Amino acid sequence: MIKRSISIGEGTRQAKSRTGYLYVTPALIILGLTSVFPAVYSLILSLFHWDWGISLDFVGLGNYILYLSDPKFWQVLRQTFYFAIGAVSVELVLGFALALIINRLRWGMGVIRTLLLLPLMVSGIIVSLIWKILLDPTLGIVNYMLSLFGGPKPVWFGAQATAMPSIIMVDTWWQTAFVFIVLSAGLRSLPTEPFEAAEVDGASSLQKFRYLTLPMLRPVLLTVLIFRTIDCLKVFALIFGTTGGGPAQSTEVIQTLAYRTAFKFLFLSRSMTLMVIFSVIILAISLLYLRFGERQTA
Amino acid sequence: MNARTKRRITTILAYVLAGIAVILTLFPIFWIFTISIKTQRDAFAMPPVFIFKPIWSNYIKIWQTAGFGAAFRNSIIVTIIGVVLALVVGIPAAYAMNRLPFKGEKSLSIWLLLSYMLPEFLFIIPMYVLYQHIGLYDTQVGLAIVYQVFLLPFAIWLLRGFFADVPIELEEAARIDGCSRLQTLYKIYFPLTAPGIAATAILAAIWIWNELTISLALTFDAARTVTVAVAGFRGYASIDWGSMTAASIVSIIPMFIFAALAQKYIVEGLTLGAVK
Repeated sequence: MIKRSISIGEGTRQAKSRTGYLYVTPALIILGLTSVFPAVYSLILSLFHWDWGISLDFVGLGNYILYLSDPKFWQVLRQTFYFAIGAVSVELVLGFALALIINRLRWGMGVIRTLLLLPLMVSGIIVSLIWKILLDPTLGIVNYMLSLFGGPKPVWFGAQATAMPSIIMVDTWWQTAFVFIVLSAGLRSLPTEPFEAAEVDGASSLQKFRYLTLPMLRPVLLTVLIFRTIDCLKVFALIFGTTGGGPAQSTEVIQTLAYRTAFKFLFLSRSMTLMVIFSVIILAISLLYLRFGERQTA
Repeated sequence: MNARTKRRITTILAYVLAGIAVILTLFPIFWIFTISIKTQRDAFAMPPVFIFKPIWSNYIKIWQTAGFGAAFRNSIIVTIIGVVLALVVGIPAAYAMNRLPFKGEKSLSIWLLLSYMLPEFLFIIPMYVLYQHIGLYDTQVGLAIVYQVFLLPFAIWLLRGFFADVPIELEEAARIDGCSRLQTLYKIYFPLTAPGIAATAILAAIWIWNELTISLALTFDAARTVTVAVAGFRGYASIDWGSMTAASIVSIIPMFIFAALAQKYIVEGLTLGAVK
């Protein structure tokens, strides 16, 4: 065995390549089962009508036409983007501000960072339950505190106007720490020389931020943006746990719709169609970001 | 106002703002904990009571509630299987992608990224159908395997970053001394990247423990995980805050212990890909 591997090590590039395959084969098998098979299967089944029964009718692009011509689908897609854009922009601004603030502290940074990190350790479904209790219109602590200051008594998840903003707020509590952690690591990795030079030249804090911090942090910002955006577009647990898509479907998003279509209404192939369309959208967005990133660094 | 006072004021302001952030972060969890040790009457009191006699019966009750203990055990088992699988399969793959150039490596990288980005239900529904046929539906192993669609790309991506830091000279020296590739991986890489492997394992464990979407669809009873069990308390949510909050706190605790023990690794793992 040892003899053989030595001969491989000293051997040609081809032999090296063969060992390479040997090492990735288990990963290829598992990914083949868990990602290639489902993707191909969904693609094929999306061309059929199937509702868990024995009959499987070929409908061509029928399912796709059904969705794309349905105003309900576009509304759910709009709501998904409403959530994602809302949550990501708030989290990015707050997380960045927090990173800049914490970076200024002289002591206690480690403890504060650990404490701020805690929401990231909590499951989305538990985050939902926590906030359902806190935001309960009659028994919740938040509305009680608002009433102390004579504030309004919103029904939060219960009304169409406030439901989605409330979920965005909950996501902000949950995920801002991710933006914060990554950006503060980014801040600490920046070289100090340009800042010292700017200091000598008498640049203001705002100028330093605009012309040094921001451009140098751009690749990190872009990575955070991609990950948060994709993650938010795929939101499921938060909606499932707080509103279940209501009231009157005003917080329904693509993944909750897919869940209900497959497991409640039992339209299996339609749900797969929805996921194929959604995957294409997500891929397009990822590519867009990647292109943008390349042009910025080039 | 001179520069020194100005700097002092900004520092004080920074502490005040950081303090507010910490309070806003911790208060919801703290409040949920207080509800979990209140009687039903105290929990529903309006205005809320801040001084009360704590009770622990909710914590006893949830373990007697159908399936919560089993779900807790399932989560532990699925987490262990999932993490082990991700490492056993991910470590050689990450090593090969760094040090053993092979054709199609670039495609594999893209494929990994895509698996990570695509929505859960694209994978869930076909796996549901498949699992119904081959008998893996509602099993711990089946669930841990499906999790690999996200865990494997994540683990390989992190491990590649850590492995890249191992000096190639060290590996070459070991090879000249007659170590096989596997021995090199075992004797050089493992000790040098142990913190990185630990970080990967911890983050993977946290991810599995908190996962809801896939578990909700692919388990029913026998392999139901703790997140699905907690979601179950939601059904009669408006009545039984005590069980809901106690169950939430119990399932958060293992993760908070992780966070306290391995904060450095968690931060390192979260930031590796973005900053490098």
